[in-house]
Amino acid sequence: MAHGNIQGTLEEGTIARDIYVDASPEVVFEVISSAEHMREWWPDDARFESLAGAPGELVWRNADTGETTTVALAVVEVDPPRRFSFRWCFTEAERSGSSLLVVFELTPADGGTSIRMTETGFREMGWEIAMLEAQYNDHVSGWDHYMPRLGAYVGRVVAAR
Amino acid sequence: MSTVIDNDLWSAIGDPTRRTMIDLLLLADGPGTATSLSEALPVTRQAVAKHLAVLDRVGLVHGASAGRERHYQVDQAQLARAVAQLSAVGSTWDARLRRIKQIAEAIERKQRNSNNSDTAPNDVQISDGH
Repeated sequence: MAHGNIQGTLEEGTIARDIYVDASPEVVFEVISSAEHMREWWPDDARFESLAGAPGELVWRNADTGETTTVALAVVEVDPPRRFSFRWCFTEAERSGSSLLVVFELTPADGGTSIRMTETGFREMGWEIAMLEAQYNDHVSGWDHYMPRLGAYVGRVVAAR
Repeated sequence: MSTVIDNDLWSAIGDPTRRTMIDLLLLADGPGTATSLSEALPVTRQAVAKHLAVLDRVGLVHGASAGRERHYQVDQAQLARAVAQLSAVGSTWDARLRRIKQIAEAIERKQRNSNNSDTAPNDVQISDGH
């Protein structure tokens, strides 16, 4: 029912998601926390060291105009293979003011890994920031584009080990 | 979709007292008043009346004059709309997490394959995610 949803999701201005992955926490942690992996599941480019306190950038490129949008990011915690968190969508320059906090918590489960993702800070930042977040959704709109790339990508990752 | 209205809707529903008031109105048998709500909340009737005015302004509740007090009911359609807007933001994470899952599982399979057999390097099996 709608009001249950309201209390659950809006109480802390938080989005929470759980997903099971049939891969070890070590592999999942690497996919979540390294810039070279992140640019495969989120922005067009990601630049940051996987190091607590490290500053970084996420970059989106408009395929038609070639224009790029750069968004500041700051790594908060790196605790492999359990926790990785970062802040983004800062309201002020130099990574200050309000921001959204994204936390990944990994737990071994059934031979694989359970991921809990939470993104908090929406209540402090308001709806416009929430929309901004949504606007950085996807450089890839669906699996049609994405799936053919994945096989080649994974081949490169494993070959590089 | 009007950004101004959405922003007001978001801040109207962003307040914990107002969310509790919506819950109380949803749980009540009939319409609520500032007096009836203030009896269930640790705030004054005047504060409740102000919160109701905010909710009324963004269409989350509708007030009707009846006797000495206004009687308020939740607008279910507008409430559903507010919830849907948050869901839209959440669904962006659903897409990202699905990709994380696909990438991690493909790497894991690839590692198992290279440990167990002489499978061709490009023979990565990928489910279609459905």
